[in-house]
Amino acid sequence: MSTNTKILTQEFEYFAPKTLEETLGLLCKYKDKNTKILAGGTDLLVKMKTINLNVDYLINIKDISELNFINTDGGLKIGAAVPLSHIERVGKVKEKYPALYEGIKSMAAIAIRNMATIPGNICNASPAGDTIPPLIVYSAELKLVSKRGERTVQVEDFITGVGKTIIKADELVTQVNIPEINNNSGSAFSKKSRVKADIAKINLAIWLERDGNFCKYCKIVLGSVFIKAVRAKKAEDLLREQIVNDDLFIKVAKKASEEIKPIDDVRSIAEYRTDLAQVMVEDSLKLAWGRAGGEL
Amino acid sequence: MSEFKIVGKPIPRHDAWSKVTGDLKYADDFSLPGMLFAKVLRSKYPAAKIISINIHKAEQLKGVQAILTAKDVLHNETVTKFGQSTEVGKGFEGLYRVLADKEVRFMGEAVALVAADTEEIAEEALDLIVVEYEPLPGVFDPVEAMKPGAYLVGENGTNIIGEFGCGQGDIEKGFAKAEVIIKDTYKVPFVDHAYLETEGGIAWIDDYGVINIRVGSQVIEHFRDVADVLGLPHNKVRYIGTMMGGGFGGKEDITVETYLALLTWKTKKPVRLVYTREESILSHSKRHPFIMKYKVGAKKDGKLVALDAELVADAGAYPYLSPWVTLYATVNAAGPYCIPNVRVKSCCVLTNNTFTSANRGFGAPQPNFAYESIMDELSHKLNVDSLEIRRINCLTTGKALSTTGQVFKTHVALPEVAEKAWAALGEPVECKEENRKIGRGLAIGLMSYGRMTFLHDSSRSYVRLESDGSVLIRSGIPDLGGGQVSLLCQIVAEELGIPMSRIKIYYSDTALTPLAGTTTATRQTYMSGNATLKAAREIRKRVINKAAEMLNVNPEKLDIINEKILVNYDQSKYLPLVKVIKACNTAGIELFCEAQFNAPFTITPDLLNIRGMTFPDFTFGAQAVEVAVDTETGQIEVLKLVTCYDVGKAINPLSVEGQMEGGSIYGMGYALIEEVIMEKGITMTPSFAEYIIPTAVDVPDVKAILVESGGGLGPYGAKGIGEPSCSIIAPAILNAIYDAVGVRIKSLPASPEKIIRALKKDYFEK
Ligand SMILES: Cc1cc2nc3c(=O)[nH]c(=O)nc-3n(C[C@H](O)[C@H](O)[C@H](O)COP(=O)(O)OP(=O)(O)OC[C@H]3O[C@@H](n4cnc5c(N)ncnc54)[C@H](O)[C@@H]3O)c2cc1C
Repeated sequence: MSTNTKILTQEFEYFAPKTLEETLGLLCKYKDKNTKILAGGTDLLVKMKTINLNVDYLINIKDISELNFINTDGGLKIGAAVPLSHIERVGKVKEKYPALYEGIKSMAAIAIRNMATIPGNICNASPAGDTIPPLIVYSAELKLVSKRGERTVQVEDFITGVGKTIIKADELVTQVNIPEINNNSGSAFSKKSRVKADIAKINLAIWLERDGNFCKYCKIVLGSVFIKAVRAKKAEDLLREQIVNDDLFIKVAKKASEEIKPIDDVRSIAEYRTDLAQVMVEDSLKLAWGRAGGEL
Repeated sequence: MSEFKIVGKPIPRHDAWSKVTGDLKYADDFSLPGMLFAKVLRSKYPAAKIISINIHKAEQLKGVQAILTAKDVLHNETVTKFGQSTEVGKGFEGLYRVLADKEVRFMGEAVALVAADTEEIAEEALDLIVVEYEPLPGVFDPVEAMKPGAYLVGENGTNIIGEFGCGQGDIEKGFAKAEVIIKDTYKVPFVDHAYLETEGGIAWIDDYGVINIRVGSQVIEHFRDVADVLGLPHNKVRYIGTMMGGGFGGKEDITVETYLALLTWKTKKPVRLVYTREESILSHSKRHPFIMKYKVGAKKDGKLVALDAELVADAGAYPYLSPWVTLYATVNAAGPYCIPNVRVKSCCVLTNNTFTSANRGFGAPQPNFAYESIMDELSHKLNVDSLEIRRINCLTTGKALSTTGQVFKTHVALPEVAEKAWAALGEPVECKEENRKIGRGLAIGLMSYGRMTFLHDSSRSYVRLESDGSVLIRSGIPDLGGGQVSLLCQIVAEELGIPMSRIKIYYSDTALTPLAGTTTATRQTYMSGNATLKAAREIRKRVINKAAEMLNVNPEKLDIINEKILVNYDQSKYLPLVKVIKACNTAGIELFCEAQFNAPFTITPDLLNIRGMTFPDFTFGAQAVEVAVDTETGQIEVLKLVTCYDVGKAINPLSVEGQMEGGSIYGMGYALIEEVIMEKGITMTPSFAEYIIPTAVDVPDVKAILVESGGGLGPYGAKGIGEPSCSIIAPAILNAIYDAVGVRIKSLPASPEKIIRALKKDYFEK
């Protein structure tokens, strides 16, 4: 049993820089120390309180105006300081990126969404993170910036394991870029949890592109069934460039459920997760297909 | 008195605004200058010997003011009491151990106390206390713990701490007459109270050397127990109870109070202790898991002929209220049914799990789940519909409880409540989706209000009419958020013909207010309501007599309305109330009264053969639900939820509806989601991230139907509703699931995982 407290017992230095420049300077200066970015704090502070996550330097990025924007020209560009509750209110998100919209809406209660951010969800790298499957199916990328320069990385390649990412100690995620979506495509998000405001037993996102009654391209990503959100690639292969019908969706869903490696934990059990994955994939395929203008 | 003026009206509580604006100060919202912060060191093992405790390093830490272990507590071992003033004997009173001594019996048991200048220092000091343990095997399953040769949790040579029995007729003969017999075993889990605020308070020593403890507690009478631990006269410990955001039985046992008293006594400084949520889940009491073996026999037409029930309750590591809860379950085991042949046997057993004690329903929800599930099985097996099978078997006024033979002289609103609840479901929801199945379930039940009659319960209340016509009430009543305090104001406002705003009430203070007894056992409307009514009526009588004299009319012709004493309700012929008060004062007539109300008193029953009255009265209710079950995911959605109770008289319908709605959701969590999972004594659901409860978005529309028979023992014929309101919903939901998909879940909670597993099993068997 670790000591539990509502207070932060540890001593740390706190910064609230106003500019990106300043932030990158701090990150560079303290890159060899226990330095953490504080966005919404809805994961970080919980860890600092409950598992005594060690932090020497805490850098709050919420006051940086350069990170506080949403740009809807050509896809979506969202700054790292934007709370989820702002994102869900952007019309284009709901219309064009319903899987992301639904993923965000499924998260916690409004009080948490008023604080939480997308980069926070991704950098936290929980296998159950709800924005992760949608972002992967939309081929979203992250912009990582440091004093040394900048790079962009696909969300899919960014997370490597439970709580693990490829970010370097001096880097900051400054924004999330989601490419424009083709009109012939459709997407969907699905999540099952114990109560409505809860971490997922399973979550998933599907995106597909339709050409008549063909599925030209698709992505199926499931969360909370492995150490990180995973693409069901064999299932995708079954569907890609095929004529769509009910039977095919059933086969694809079955394949997806065979690909995943869920475990037993407090939220659910592996056996059930496998059954559930199949049902959820099938339902979401139909929904996404319908949204792409397809018929069955 | 003719019509009610305030009673029965849906009025906002007298303290509603202060709650909405946040002005009201709960236990946590209070501090004193120079106050120290306390923390509790808790055991790391569910069962272990304590070889040594070294506090040396912790003591050296700057800012640490006191560290206490068992050896510092004058009377570390006393007897659990719950405000009762009678001696009820060994069967009910168990060991109350303040701090673990020589051994720990459950994980999270308090081992040492720290008081320090800041919370951070107190926390750091905990880490510096070195406790050397020798882990012991322990026992975690009550059935294992009952076997001869089992690991012994306590010192008594057996883990069984209470055995009870009751019944009537001859069950062998009864079952011989049965045309159909059903046998099944039902299980219910540990659950947490999950109140809004955790256990907490602050203590200080006042100018007179009295230890004051400001705390959220359901039982301020614990001041005596705290004084006994410290070896102080009872009048040297004072409880000041705060408003609470829920008690649900979890603040019925002593929580932080003894620790606070010990630390403030040692340091002579104010001390504050508030549990974290995780600490609360880990270390305070849980609702009892029960294993319930049931067998019922019936005729082909559904008429019950025999019931045999064996109940085993997991008491956890210390007795606390386990024997009492088990007795409740025993008496409730046959439900609200007339069954000629009944045998109930039950026991509670120590294990090295977190201790169990009171939780809203107090032993009623567990057997209710069992008997209402088996009634539903019977109804399907015999093809007699849910309502009919209950109609032909249920108790009615004048009949006797099948377990103890206690005769219902008060009104029994059965089958009325069942008919109303069932009818209120209306037309079924239409559903075209193939894998979404709609089902309906019904359950009925009873639960006592008022404490067990052999506890010789009483409540006192004080009412004083001031010379300006305002009123002061003093009552020891603790308010858990159910509106207990406001209720007393309403009764006095009614009787004395004044508005609620003219009343000031002091509550829950053992030095200032007459002791009203515990806010437990759904007893306050009944007990303190009656005590307050008695005091108010006495004053009313004196004022009216004086007015009659002044007006020269018969007192029977007078009534007090809107601060006027009217003759024959004639608005033009009256005396202002203040004028009569002045006249009373001049004449030396006392306009204050402290009244005591006593419940019926009985002797302690033979516990193995409980007969006759054990409770003053019971509340009867029914719940009906409609659910949708997804056959592919097992997800359950409660579409309609109806709750119907005979509340006797709804003194404040808003509060009664609040209880009925809240109780339904409390029980819905029990039915579908909630479970404190313990693996070998270790809590696997240590926070609200793992221990899940329904939140606002999970709550369906609840339709509350209030039947007001006027047949209760409380003021104006009221019955209690707080606990009964949560005790029937679980089987109603599970019966609806069965109706929808043909799967009978026999262990709570009915998770989607269990539904899918059962559906698959059915599929492969077919
Ligand atoms: C009650 C509650 C309910 C929740 N429910 C859900 C849920 O349903 N689904 C779900 O997915 N999550 C849930 N969460 C988790 C959490 O809210 C989300 O993961 C959220 O998106 C985290 O964002 P944040 O801005 O608060 O991150 P923070 O806590 O501020 O940061 C999380 C991590 O990311 C790092 N980080 C943050 N921003 C950056 C950046 N720009 N560059 C580099 N590193 C960065 C931080 O250093 C930290 O390590 C819940 C949390 C709580 C407390």
